[in-house]
Amino acid sequence: MKPQLTLQTPLELPPQEISSYLSKLWISENEYSLGANTFSLVVWQPSWLEQCLVINDFINGPITGNLSQEIINTAKDLILKNRLPLATSLYSKKLIDILKKNIANDTSEDLRGQFFESSISTLNPRRLITLAPTLNEHAGIKTFVSAYCPLSDDSSKQPICGDLVVIRGGTQSIYSEGLELVNKLSIEELPSWLWWNSSLDDSPEVFDFFLKSGSRLIIDTANGSIKRCLYVLNNALKSNKAINDLNWVRLKSWRESLAMIFDPPSRREILDHISDIDIDIEGEHVIQALFLISWISDKLNWRFKKINKGTDFTNVFFVRTNGEEIKISINPLPLGNPSIHCGQVIGLRLISKISKNPKQNTCIILGCESAECSRLESGGMADMHLIEEVVPNSLLPSEGDVSQLLRSSRGNTSPLFENTIKIAQEIYEAFH
Amino acid sequence: MNQSLSNPLRIGLRQERVIPPQCLIIFGASGDLTHRKLIPALFELFLQRRIPSEFAIVGCARRPWNDEEFRAKMSIKLEKQISKNEKEWLNFSKYLFYEPVDLQKEDDVIKLATRLAEIDKNQATHGNRTFYLSVSPNYYGSGCKALKKAGLINDPKKSRLVIEKPFGRDYSSAKKLNSIVQSCADESQIFRIDHYLGKETVQNILVLRFANTIFEPIWNRNYISSVQITSSETVGVEDRAGYYETSGALRDMLQNHLTQMLAVTAMEPPGKFDPEAIRNEKAKVLQASKLANENKPWECCIRGQYGKGGNFSNPLKAYRDEEGVNINSMTETYIAAKVFIDNWRWQGVPFYLRTGKRLPKRLGEIVLTFKDVPVHLFESTIINPSPNQLILRIQPNEGATFKFEVKSPGSGMKSRPVEMEFSYDESFGEPSDEGYVRLLADSMLGDPTLFTRSDEVEAAWKLYTPLIELMENAPWKLPICKYESKTWGPPEADQLLSKDNIFWRRP
Repeated sequence: MKPQLTLQTPLELPPQEISSYLSKLWISENEYSLGANTFSLVVWQPSWLEQCLVINDFINGPITGNLSQEIINTAKDLILKNRLPLATSLYSKKLIDILKKNIANDTSEDLRGQFFESSISTLNPRRLITLAPTLNEHAGIKTFVSAYCPLSDDSSKQPICGDLVVIRGGTQSIYSEGLELVNKLSIEELPSWLWWNSSLDDSPEVFDFFLKSGSRLIIDTANGSIKRCLYVLNNALKSNKAINDLNWVRLKSWRESLAMIFDPPSRREILDHISDIDIDIEGEHVIQALFLISWISDKLNWRFKKINKGTDFTNVFFVRTNGEEIKISINPLPLGNPSIHCGQVIGLRLISKISKNPKQNTCIILGCESAECSRLESGGMADMHLIEEVVPNSLLPSEGDVSQLLRSSRGNTSPLFENTIKIAQEIYEAFH
Repeated sequence: MNQSLSNPLRIGLRQERVIPPQCLIIFGASGDLTHRKLIPALFELFLQRRIPSEFAIVGCARRPWNDEEFRAKMSIKLEKQISKNEKEWLNFSKYLFYEPVDLQKEDDVIKLATRLAEIDKNQATHGNRTFYLSVSPNYYGSGCKALKKAGLINDPKKSRLVIEKPFGRDYSSAKKLNSIVQSCADESQIFRIDHYLGKETVQNILVLRFANTIFEPIWNRNYISSVQITSSETVGVEDRAGYYETSGALRDMLQNHLTQMLAVTAMEPPGKFDPEAIRNEKAKVLQASKLANENKPWECCIRGQYGKGGNFSNPLKAYRDEEGVNINSMTETYIAAKVFIDNWRWQGVPFYLRTGKRLPKRLGEIVLTFKDVPVHLFESTIINPSPNQLILRIQPNEGATFKFEVKSPGSGMKSRPVEMEFSYDESFGEPSDEGYVRLLADSMLGDPTLFTRSDEVEAAWKLYTPLIELMENAPWKLPICKYESKTWGPPEADQLLSKDNIFWRRP
């Protein structure tokens, strides 16, 4: 459970008084009250699933915005009970719609915006604004405000304080009134981030507001339709908007592990003879696999040629500069207990054919666990020179990845990711 | 092995820290260090795209150059590096500026302040300044005072001071210098540079020890019988006689580079990877270090000076015949010392440190020799089974070797030593950065982890105080032993170890 950030309950104030209250807060007689000179963070925090589960009494309240293990377990039970595919996302509209059906009056205590992972709060955000849409779409807007001073490990340092604003209400009122308040509360001299902690299919009009604003965006393309995700990414690129994707961040260990294999110069030649790549993913959501393919092809200077899509497989073909073809298969695998992030890469097999003699060829296998490695070894792979690694999937909660991004304070989209997005879009366009 | 191919999948994966907008001011910009190390390191950072666009390098020295002359001189000196990256150099050289400054003249420093304000405005460096003192150590104190007086280092968050070695000549002068520097700037602003700490392999000692479970349990007196730390150079004094005559191997190498390697090798694990936590542990281990016999330092230290050497076609001069060297010079070009560390981990384990010029190979290494097995069950193919050794190579061919016994092939059960090898080149295929690249970047990023703190410097000087006093008050007790150029030092240095039934590793 994330720690509560504020010691006192935030003060409810009318939206029009928030700005003046905050400006007074930092002009204090107390010389020790320092406002952090860091960044502001806006979080879109609908927590639809948690809201539905609390209101339907599947779990106890209050609503906090924490994606707890209890919520995950309850949701997985409900996915089974409602005969949805096992790989159904916790942000899936289908699931939420089923849960919404039986909703009575929304009277649960809502503490969203008051709980933050210490990995984020210890970065001392100057201003944390939580946009907390309610299930009742027509609810009016309510605003809350508080100051907070996270304690540092180092007792010699004086606390650096920030402030916290919660804007709660129906999506419509957040769109019409809340976003105006967000604008007013922006601190020009500090970098501003938006973390879209929801599906990208959710409330596109609100997301588009931020796409047009000056904020750096943090999204997660594991949540949302591929079409919408790629549209958002491409739009951000076209408008030179800094965008960071947690789904790309989670690929880091795969990219690093694969690069590590080719660090010894004696192995570099293998790269010139890659003929086949197999990528296993959890469920049907192929966007992370597309990212991985696109990154590899970009680095190895391969040109996309065509795709061949079957019912349970997708083959993507590339061409090397010397005209040789490379076949990449994306294989969605049904897993008993899939990760909460849809479509995560769980295995990668790369075959490099340097000769007609299999013994001189190389098979590289990266698997998220030994069982996956064993699966990819089948089909006579061991006849080749076999290099295997287990790449554990990132177990960090999203907040951990978000805090890494905030810490890096990079104001731009990673150039690696930029190129990846372009190729992923090219491949996706060939799907239709 | 084709080393020219870089790993395409590696490109762009390293998320290097980007230096914030910055103005780096180098005092002593007309000196060797600037064109040999500092500007090449900064150019490397530029090629790695780690230099922000809001950046400036201001060279300062007494010579009456202007910006263009400074740029031209640097491009001549760096011709080799530039030839491969001419376009990049053109862009980089736009960051180079020059201001004639004599730090002893108040007017010059005031003029510099005005110029810096102008550069700050034009280059948008946000007032962030790093002052690099690459001047004679005699001017460190007065230089800091001049900067303080001109108000250039008043803001502890925006201004930093980088100070080259040697930091003092002995314990009392280091203490005095520390108090002067600390009266001008906060300790958090002071970066005392020791370029050995910038070496990838020295930093790797920390990773090797604290990121693996297998080493730390045996990294102590129960398993290790001795440690040797060597830093050898093949070159002689070259054109540094003026400086070297006043310093010698003890002040030039032993007190700083070798002692820092000792600290990193022997320190306790820090609670976290945090600059102060690491520097606390290094300071503690240095404070616990002492010469093996403080009362009779001549019994645990050997000084040497290189004599003639080479061969008929390539004769090598003796130190005393080198240009600028006193023909009766008593400056040591070689020193070996035996040190103990009085703490639970290392009690009784001798640390042998040696450094010298004109030795057969250029190398830096740390050799940990493990204790012998309690019972020799197997006959060895050589006389006795050799003890296990872990050799950490700092330079060249950076890496590590582990020496252990295996069964010698054949029908008998004889053992013989073999080596397990890790080489940076073979594993990563890419050369690691020069120490200055890392350290310059760290200083501009305000990361003091790899810089020595005042208490570390003082503890390192204190460790050698009995030796320095002896060299000054009774030098005949610690005579200079001659050694032929391109040999591994004077024979007396071998005896220092053979008394303990140990031998220097011959790399």
